[in-house]
Amino acid sequence: MAEAIKILICQGTGGISAGAKKVEAEFNRIIAEKGLTATVGKRCDVVKTGCRGLCANDVLVDIVDDKGCTTYDFVQPEEVAKLVDEHIIAGEPLEKRKAKPYYNKFVDAQQRIVMSGCGQIDAESIDAYLATDGFKAIKKCITEMKPAEVTEEVKKSGLRGRGGGGFPTGLKWSFCAASPGHHKYIICNADEGDPGAFMDRSILEGDPYCLIEGMMIAGYAIGAQFGYVYVRAEYPLAIQRLQKAIDTCYEKGYLGNDCMGLGFEYNMRIKMGAGAFVCGEETALMASIEGERGMPRPRPPFPAVKGLWQNPSNINNVETFANVRHIINNGSAWYAAIGTETTKGTKIFAVTGKVKHTGLVEVPAGMKVRDVIYEVCGGILNNRKFKAVQAGGPSGGCISAELLDTPVDYDSLIKAGAMMGSGGLVVMDETTCMVDISKFFLTFTRMESCGKCVPCRIGLKAMLDILIRITEGNGRAGDIETLIDLGTTIKQASLCGLGQTAPNPVLSTIRYFRDEYEAHINDKRCPSNSCKELLLWQVVEDKCVKCGACKKACPVDAIVWEKGEIAYLDKEKCTKCKSCYDACRFMAIE
Amino acid sequence: MVTLTIDDKQVSVEKDATIYDAAKAAGVNIPILCHDKKLKPFGACRMCLVEVEQMKGRLIPACTTPVTEGMIVRSSTPPVEKARKLVLELLMLNHPLDCPVCDKGGDCELQNLAYDHKVNSNRLADEKFHHEIDYNNPLIERDQNRCVLCGKCVRICDEIVARGALTFISRGIETTIGTEFDGPLSCEFCGSCISVCPVGALLARPFKFKSRFWAMTKKKSVCGYCGTGCNVTLGVKDNKVLTTVYDENQGFHNGQLCVRGRFGYQFISSDKRLKTPLIRKNDQLVEAGWDEALALVAERLKGAGSAAAALATPRMTNEELVLLKQLMTQQVGSQNIDHSAGYGHAAVSEGLGKSLGVAASSATILDIQKSDLILAIKTDVYETHPVVGFEINMAVKNKGIKLQIISDKRGKLSRLPGANLLLNKPGSDVALLNAVAKVLLDENLAVTPATPELAAALNDFTPEKVAELTGVAADAIRDLARAYAAAEKAIILFTSGLAYPGADAQLAHAAANLAILGGKLGKEGSGILALQEKNNSQGALDVGFVPGQGGLDAQQILAGCSAGSIKTLLIAGENPVVSYPAQAQVKKALDAVEFLVVADLFLTETAQMADVVLPVCSYAEKAGTFTATDRRVQKISAAIPAVGQSKPEFQVYGELISLLGGQPAATQAEAFAQIAAYAGISYAELGEGGAFAAVKLQPVQVVPKVVTVAVDAGKFALLTGAALYHCGTMSLYGEGTVSVCGEAYVEISRNDAAKMNISEGAEVKLTSSTGTVSVKARISPRMSEGVAFAPYHFAEASINTVWSGAAVTGVTISK
Repeated sequence: MAEAIKILICQGTGGISAGAKKVEAEFNRIIAEKGLTATVGKRCDVVKTGCRGLCANDVLVDIVDDKGCTTYDFVQPEEVAKLVDEHIIAGEPLEKRKAKPYYNKFVDAQQRIVMSGCGQIDAESIDAYLATDGFKAIKKCITEMKPAEVTEEVKKSGLRGRGGGGFPTGLKWSFCAASPGHHKYIICNADEGDPGAFMDRSILEGDPYCLIEGMMIAGYAIGAQFGYVYVRAEYPLAIQRLQKAIDTCYEKGYLGNDCMGLGFEYNMRIKMGAGAFVCGEETALMASIEGERGMPRPRPPFPAVKGLWQNPSNINNVETFANVRHIINNGSAWYAAIGTETTKGTKIFAVTGKVKHTGLVEVPAGMKVRDVIYEVCGGILNNRKFKAVQAGGPSGGCISAELLDTPVDYDSLIKAGAMMGSGGLVVMDETTCMVDISKFFLTFTRMESCGKCVPCRIGLKAMLDILIRITEGNGRAGDIETLIDLGTTIKQASLCGLGQTAPNPVLSTIRYFRDEYEAHINDKRCPSNSCKELLLWQVVEDKCVKCGACKKACPVDAIVWEKGEIAYLDKEKCTKCKSCYDACRFMAIE
Repeated sequence: MVTLTIDDKQVSVEKDATIYDAAKAAGVNIPILCHDKKLKPFGACRMCLVEVEQMKGRLIPACTTPVTEGMIVRSSTPPVEKARKLVLELLMLNHPLDCPVCDKGGDCELQNLAYDHKVNSNRLADEKFHHEIDYNNPLIERDQNRCVLCGKCVRICDEIVARGALTFISRGIETTIGTEFDGPLSCEFCGSCISVCPVGALLARPFKFKSRFWAMTKKKSVCGYCGTGCNVTLGVKDNKVLTTVYDENQGFHNGQLCVRGRFGYQFISSDKRLKTPLIRKNDQLVEAGWDEALALVAERLKGAGSAAAALATPRMTNEELVLLKQLMTQQVGSQNIDHSAGYGHAAVSEGLGKSLGVAASSATILDIQKSDLILAIKTDVYETHPVVGFEINMAVKNKGIKLQIISDKRGKLSRLPGANLLLNKPGSDVALLNAVAKVLLDENLAVTPATPELAAALNDFTPEKVAELTGVAADAIRDLARAYAAAEKAIILFTSGLAYPGADAQLAHAAANLAILGGKLGKEGSGILALQEKNNSQGALDVGFVPGQGGLDAQQILAGCSAGSIKTLLIAGENPVVSYPAQAQVKKALDAVEFLVVADLFLTETAQMADVVLPVCSYAEKAGTFTATDRRVQKISAAIPAVGQSKPEFQVYGELISLLGGQPAATQAEAFAQIAAYAGISYAELGEGGAFAAVKLQPVQVVPKVVTVAVDAGKFALLTGAALYHCGTMSLYGEGTVSVCGEAYVEISRNDAAKMNISEGAEVKLTSSTGTVSVKARISPRMSEGVAFAPYHFAEASINTVWSGAAVTGVTISK
């Protein structure tokens, strides 16, 4: 029998929110109703895959037949019948409904290693995983390699921790392996908390077995028999799929006291977090697993020496573990050939903000920031002017237009005043106020500060208060200096990574966009016309192109406009919702 | 040892020391706020930041960072000072600057640090906190506005007190210290949280607005409640004890106290104190002068011989007991002297006295944390000796020392991690211990062979047989025996005293047999420790304030009063009407005795029956020594002058001796020198922390007599004991302790309560063969079905109306 026709439906959290389940049901219904397999003479399988990164364009459906793979975007359940009729039965792909060229560009510009399974295989099927060399790497480790050799291989690959700090993974493993003690723990940090970042979730949802295998390899290398996956409870689908994968592994003997009959003991379980950003900090995470309040603990002692329940523990994040099997399968030399001198392999970025195609992209380390934004993600939304990109989430910093050619690797980003972090890239255009953006991030970190150490608990609030004042037009001379001073000291004095990096967005925006701060403070003006309190709520007559977009956007009829006329904003009616500002492509509202 | 450099000074410290410890050793002052030497490293306040050459680019917290060889530390560089100043600026941002009305003013670490760092202005501005102040309990005020979130209260309550009543709640700037479900503080009111609070966020309510800190003189003393021997510092102003002051360097317990020690001080300067002697005239007690009162007493005692008797409280100093003993035995000619109702000290005087060859414990409280296994027998040590409870908690939680418990009810001990409880039926303790000894013999686990007598006697105590009797599974008994034998060092604890008739000589014999057979005696961290009830219980035994040759014990003395053979009774500090069992008989005896002299601080229920009442001094007004339960002899001195016309008993009995023609010791030192048990200890040289009196062991295997207690079907087995908040009856005169526990109660199990439809706090009637009493019911998860527990301290609704001194009393409980 000929190769089956596969219908791949993206069913990550993004896909499901967009209606993927309904689309799937519709495909199944129609396939059954029409006896499609008989009609076409081939098996028609609907495969629910994980996320392929372009959630904004969900529901994405791939139909894979002898003509290759055809991708449809924004698929609605109502369209399914037509797709089946024309593409599958008649064999004529619907040209009009095919994803536009952007899609191929988005996919082709990437190099998918970690996410190779995401969007391609049925996340809930161990057989699908096995078909992609699943569990080959761990078997190879146990049967052919000594634990130290595994660590050495990971060291040679140059893999660095993908959670933010970029600590060499192999080296980390060797510390924990060298720690005395019989009970050791492997912990996977899946407490992804950076606003906008969801690569870990996508891996858990799209390819949970690769995480299990990665953790098993780490367990073998270190001599740990138990693994915890700390996942935030806000990731129900990820938890469900990972739990199912763990259960299946136990059923099939891949996990347990004698994994795969190879005499290797490895057990694991999920620990759900309650959604505190600080629990991504490894000592706080361990406190949380122990049932304590998630507050960081002083280091030393380091987790590799005294971690979970005072036992040596190794903690990496999802993306790091997901890399491991590929390194073992393909060899460290293959891996080390990808990327730059100091950053090997690929990195997944979550690109959000004012960019055309938001989503997850996996690119080789060292790709220029410019290429990520313009080549992969299609450039700036509405073709506006690029202003900056915030890299590394609330702990990172921003990169201005002059530094757009910075390669995305750990060291270059730090040199540019930002950081890799977990890989969040928030793209900002000329409508974004940099004071406002640093206020946004600081609001987040101030809320998420655990409250333990003074600089972070009170200091961030003090900084935020100043930022709020500035954006409300009450900035004072000396505020910038105070912010720099506070920020620098908070970084030096805080207990954990949260406080030590939280001032970064403020400090880096001051570094590159000091003029915007000064405009707010001295001229009581927001150059991006973004801070509501500083807006004049009027139309800039020489910028207005008389298009009327503002009038259409206004929910309270506060814009007076006639065709061919310059718009007028009625301040009496205006509720300052900023709809007109956002709608105007010509920056004609101020 | 690790050598490092701090501010150009070289210093060598232990390898597990922190930079802060090393700096202290080098004489370099590093400011701290959240650090406490007793607690685990926390690292929250960031005041102790320093620069370390080898860790450039970051500021390093000195209090959490261990030293490494060759470390170069700078404690006061510009970035360090800047960071510290910022921390203080930030703390002062929301902290109300209400120092003028804050009780912590003058003793406040934030105040001192701000002063030291000259934080006299603030670049930043913010609103002050507006948290509601928690006045939900009578002892501890929680003002979150002043809190700096150092977490010391949370940590001490968890790490040392093991209560966990406080915790962090919320996040970021909204973080506060909260209670369970944000309700009223549900705790033991030991006030440990107050003691470590660096600011005025936690305050002792009884002390509010009593005095500025600096206006008080701080007088060191030894707590006058239980036998633990905690050291206390009394805050004194205008000749009144106004509070206890925390001193983290005081005593083996590092200044930690229990609710009684911290809040029970008010009896000292109570308005109810007796101010003058009282003499009964026309059946009324009327004020009198000392000369008249003493003359009257001397006249009655003169030549009274064995028709006179004395009952003393083991709260008196050793020296006072020496004089009272001399008065009775030499001047009066009576051997009828005793204390603690006689049976209250039997476990040690008779039990250990025979089994160990000395009426004292073989181990000290310090051995608890050096042990491998703690076997707690029938002891609610958290209630009777709370600070010893802290030691056990730290031993178990920090050092992983195993805890085995034999008890007839659950308790805080059995909730400690890894604690193994053998819950036995009331009154079956000795049989259970015998069964453990039997297993030691049967499984060849005994280090010392059993004597044929003991071996033969133990034959009746196979685990299977005893399992039936005690309700403890035979395997559990075996496991306990094996664990006890396997531990290199094992310490046995039990509680003795007035309220614990079950902790008798037989129990002590049975326990001692385990230690002897198991080879646990005579080494550090191992042996037997009897936790005796009063602050000088051990001293009373060491002085020998027990019936002499042919003398009557306490129960016989009371019987003699009723029978008319005892005509004059001197009661020094005891309150038998309330604290001795069988109240009706006690009252009958005191009514019958011709002449009753009571020396006390208060007009107690017993004093009210007296012919002469002598007002005497509390421990805060006198000098002398107390011997803690582990034979630690400690000196006290007067913190305040005698209240009213009261006199120290040392003076009272000295004068009586003189009036009867004897020669009393002129000084405390002279009296102390007469105590043979303390040979080798010099009174003059006793310093802070005192000295341990030597214990010379001559272990003997004594066959314990086993009396099986059976309670009639349908009746509750009533157990007596102490409530956490009280010790004897003296704490009833301390408003602090009374405010959290002021009336009699009985604890029953949830199931019994449900069956009888009794709700928490409901009035219930307890009826035994001797009487009936009405008390409030407490429904407690620690009680087993059919078992009830009642504390014995309270004068009103006193439990001794239904309790006649049996270890287990059958009672009915009805609504």
